[in-house]
Amino acid sequence: MNDDNKINNNKSTKETIIETEVAMGVVHPAALEPYRVRLFVEDEIVKDAEITIGVNHRGIERIMEGLPVEKANSLTEKVCGICSNSHIWNSVMVAEKGLGIEVPDRAQYIRVIMGELERLHSHFLYLAHGNEVLGHETFSMRLFYIRETVMELLRMIGGNRVQYGAPIIGGVRPRCELNSKRIQKIKEGMDFVEEKAINFADRFVSDPMIMSRITGVGVISRKDALRLAASGPTLRATGVARDLRTDMECYDPFDFDVITQDDGDVKSNLLVRVLEIFESVKIIRQALKDLPEGRITNRSWEMADTPIIKSYIEVPRGTLYHSYRIEEGRTRNVIIRTPSMSNIGAMEHACIGNHITDAQLAIVQCDPCFTCTDRAIKIIEL
Amino acid sequence: MSLKSYSRARAVHVMLVYTGGCNGCDIEIVNCILSPKFDAEQYKVFLTWNPREADVLVVTGPVTKHNEKPLKEIYKAIPEPKAVVAAGACALMGGVYKNIHGEIPSEEIAGPVEEVIPVAAKVPGCAVRPEDVLSGVVAALPLLLNAK
Repeated sequence: MNDDNKINNNKSTKETIIETEVAMGVVHPAALEPYRVRLFVEDEIVKDAEITIGVNHRGIERIMEGLPVEKANSLTEKVCGICSNSHIWNSVMVAEKGLGIEVPDRAQYIRVIMGELERLHSHFLYLAHGNEVLGHETFSMRLFYIRETVMELLRMIGGNRVQYGAPIIGGVRPRCELNSKRIQKIKEGMDFVEEKAINFADRFVSDPMIMSRITGVGVISRKDALRLAASGPTLRATGVARDLRTDMECYDPFDFDVITQDDGDVKSNLLVRVLEIFESVKIIRQALKDLPEGRITNRSWEMADTPIIKSYIEVPRGTLYHSYRIEEGRTRNVIIRTPSMSNIGAMEHACIGNHITDAQLAIVQCDPCFTCTDRAIKIIEL
Repeated sequence: MSLKSYSRARAVHVMLVYTGGCNGCDIEIVNCILSPKFDAEQYKVFLTWNPREADVLVVTGPVTKHNEKPLKEIYKAIPEPKAVVAAGACALMGGVYKNIHGEIPSEEIAGPVEEVIPVAAKVPGCAVRPEDVLSGVVAALPLLLNAK
């Protein structure tokens, strides 16, 4: 008992030697993406966990080094296949901040609409994947079905189902202009998504099997979440109302709530995402209602050299960071940090103390995206 | 038609291996086989995660150096006859990751799938469309069915 407390507090793991190790990966059926998990087990209870990434490293920052800024921006889209628009959005914002470019209001609104549609599809994917790991395939299929509507809307606006990034320096692509027909389609899509999501949520929380399976599993306490620097919905599920959207200028005109839950377990994590879906629908409706007239791209800007500019935005999974400097129209010293990077600590921590069959669930509850997480990092001791 | 190919024609098992792309193709393929909209299971195509059960191996992503060995091992574990479908621009020619600035090859990428394991069908696109994946898998089927 004494030992358990020690390990759960993460204070001394050096003294205890745990003999049984269950290793998973690099390619494993339960995990879609290649990563390696080592679970140290005693009596089927996970005592310690270790997640190793690095097999996906492709060196995007290295390729971006010395590319023209416009090219480098569109390359950031390929960092992640789920939140592709967010990467290009943040990368473009770095250049805009550095060069002092003003973005037209209409473009900001369209960017917000794309961002929120992306949040919708990412959250639906998360819920579908979570339910699949839970073993409830019917819910998973239902969610994939709702998600298709959002994907079709993204294809209509951006021209592709996956890599649909809208922003360019100074606005959005001409392809992504919203005419009345498109606005009507998005409105209809939002009605459909909202209705289906409400039905799903009602069914989900009233299912005693699901609720008993996910309540109290994979708990991350508020203190630990802050200590491990978790971000995004994972942090909000522990009761910390921290959402960078409240600080972002382009979200100023919109009225929305920051969703929090208290427990930090799988149930809270799933419910935060379910409730955020309704907030996203609310934001998209507001944006469509007040969509300002005018041009969507500001072309009157000049390239100049800038110092290193940093930019943080809120993406579906948490806080995304991009920084680079511009030298003779080319990017230098690119750094990207994706939200899953800072959530890895929380994932490892969530496994500890659970039954080994719940370990995968505890990892998935933090919404991992290891492919975009594989960046070259250097930890500096402060 | 032998009994084996008769039964195989009624249950094609697809395994997806993911070798370091951006996750986009990966989700589209899972989506295309599982989701109710495309639902490849109605054409008797099933997704499996066990290489010993699989008939068709779908590979996405440019094969990173770290993923080269696992991919070869998975290919070895699949019983004969087998077919490999390379899906997505990265799997076909390395995508945006293969070359840094023109012809300088990246140190991270072991080359397109073709250079690691033999490929039977190629599905282009960034990311692949679910309809294309289906037709790619169907194009690889004669290899399996006509084998002795």
